[in-house]
Amino acid sequence: MNVRHGLITAGAGLAGLSVMVMAVSVGYGMKDALGPGAGFFSFWLSLIGGLLSVGLLASAWRGTAPGELGASLFPKGDAARRCVAMLAAVVLAALLIEPLGYRLTAAALVAGLLYALEARGHVAIWLFAAAASFGVYHVFMNWLLVPLPGGALGF
Amino acid sequence: MEAFQHLLTGFGHALSLEYLAYAFVGCTLGTLVGVLPGLGPAAGTAILIPLTFKLDPTGAIIMLAAIYYGAMYGGTITSVLINVPGEAASVITCIDGHAMAKQGRGGTALGIAAIGSFIGGIVATIALVVVAPPLARLGLLFGPPEFFALMVLGLSLVTGLAGRSLLAALLMTIIGLVLAMIGIDPVRGAPRFTFGVPELYDGVGFIPVVMGLFGISEILLMAESPAREVIKTKLTGLLPSREEWRSSLRAIWRGTGIGFALGLIPGIGSIIPTFMAYIAEKRLSKTPERFGQGAIEGVAAPETANNAYANAALIPFFTLGIPSSPTIAVLMGAFIINGLTPGPFLFQERPDLVWTVIASLFIGNVILLILNLPLVGLWARLLHIPYQYLCTGVLLFCVLGAYSLQQSVFDVWLMIVFGVIGYFFRKLDLPLAPLVLGLILGPFIEKSMRTSLEMSGGDFSIFATRPLCVTLLVAAVVVLAAAALRLVPARVREAESV
Repeated sequence: MNVRHGLITAGAGLAGLSVMVMAVSVGYGMKDALGPGAGFFSFWLSLIGGLLSVGLLASAWRGTAPGELGASLFPKGDAARRCVAMLAAVVLAALLIEPLGYRLTAAALVAGLLYALEARGHVAIWLFAAAASFGVYHVFMNWLLVPLPGGALGF
Repeated sequence: MEAFQHLLTGFGHALSLEYLAYAFVGCTLGTLVGVLPGLGPAAGTAILIPLTFKLDPTGAIIMLAAIYYGAMYGGTITSVLINVPGEAASVITCIDGHAMAKQGRGGTALGIAAIGSFIGGIVATIALVVVAPPLARLGLLFGPPEFFALMVLGLSLVTGLAGRSLLAALLMTIIGLVLAMIGIDPVRGAPRFTFGVPELYDGVGFIPVVMGLFGISEILLMAESPAREVIKTKLTGLLPSREEWRSSLRAIWRGTGIGFALGLIPGIGSIIPTFMAYIAEKRLSKTPERFGQGAIEGVAAPETANNAYANAALIPFFTLGIPSSPTIAVLMGAFIINGLTPGPFLFQERPDLVWTVIASLFIGNVILLILNLPLVGLWARLLHIPYQYLCTGVLLFCVLGAYSLQQSVFDVWLMIVFGVIGYFFRKLDLPLAPLVLGLILGPFIEKSMRTSLEMSGGDFSIFATRPLCVTLLVAAVVVLAAAALRLVPARVREAESV
């Protein structure tokens, strides 16, 4: 999939979203006793947005949109692996931060991601993971007084 | 005279040990944000907001403002040493700065950039002291129609100058404005577009969105091509020679004037002043062929304009409540988190806070000169950090920053979703700045417009019968027309495509 296909998809998707927003906006009311209703602004914005989305789709279809339309949209090879590793790490962090607590989650995220990105030096990796997890936890909880989740295991 | 007295009072507070410490920490973190590639000032400032939660509002704003203009100083180092701008405004510095580094004059480039930034920042802050109070008084005369028109002008400027396609920029602005509709209707108080999700009742969190769009997306893009070459250059001779100093001085004063003048216009962005300062020096130079080959004026002018702009852009923000860039929009978010609304009423209601922050701008510029001149070698070493550690650290702080806002995993998910969206938008050359400005200004624009229509009983001619409102709206149309007719140089629009 290249940039041109991406723009066409984005244009179509945004146009569809605009129609949905317009429909929902009408439900909120375009006018009331005091003036414009809750749906007034969003209705007109989404109408304009829908037209612009169709314009974007059309310019991408005709090949007149600026940018490298032939360039690949998705990374390949090692670049793709690195991107997927980073996304997976941050998604896992979101899933685990409350059940597991910040410290264990951060240690796992940092060490796991550094290994996935082929960082060198086991000692450096684990020292960094320890600082980023337990060190940062200490700073946030005790110095900055910003609470972080302790997790079900209590640490 | 009254402003001078307020400023002296402000200095009295700003020079306290506590606020000096906040300014120092902010300047250090800001320089770090500017130095580290992969972390721009918008995302960097957003990520560091949780550090200020337990501070009083004045302290929080002092620290965050210091991070904002500190990042302008730090971005120069990466521009000079690795030909990668640390933040968007340092793009132009790459041209001659990196050339100077290759010639072994990297230290001189960084030195003149720091000195020029200091002079530009101080002069702009002095002008802020003079201009801000009358502008704030003028702002008090603005009614809802004028505020609506002013914010439309600000959005038009950001839209008209962002990216290579006006259509794409307009679309992104609309997306930002529609996203701002999510949550409780500011006028009627009923939920909109929440679809039963309780976390959306307060709207789409601006800070997680910025972290995602600018932080996560940048990290993903950096992961695609992580290799960078750091030039080994002499960083010991920081001061220019007498001849270089003479030619730099003129560039610094011109850069200050250009940066300050353009910083007053809301929405102009940071690229335009640096670009114009560079072009002006090249046109006025008797030896323009030196530009691009390591001309010191090619570093002095844009870096001075950059900092003069950064400080001057705080004027429309403080006095009228209009953010000029995504980073200032993040500052606006920080104000709102602290229960403050930037604008003309802030000068009336909280003069202590405003003048203390303004005084801290002077102090911050001095701190930054100290941090960036003798300690430049230390900052340069940070560029040798392997990208794996850099990306991992930034990613962790993004998660931490998003979670800490409200101790909510929902904000982390929001950040991730917008991170992926931002990544693809950037690949598709869809500019992000209009989306961010639309998101932050959307509620204010809607409230101003609906209040105006309530004042006129639903009659739209209220926007056409008030002279100031008409002037601002016509200016907005002119800006968009100029963009549509491609009157803005393509190179500038490409550089603003962030």
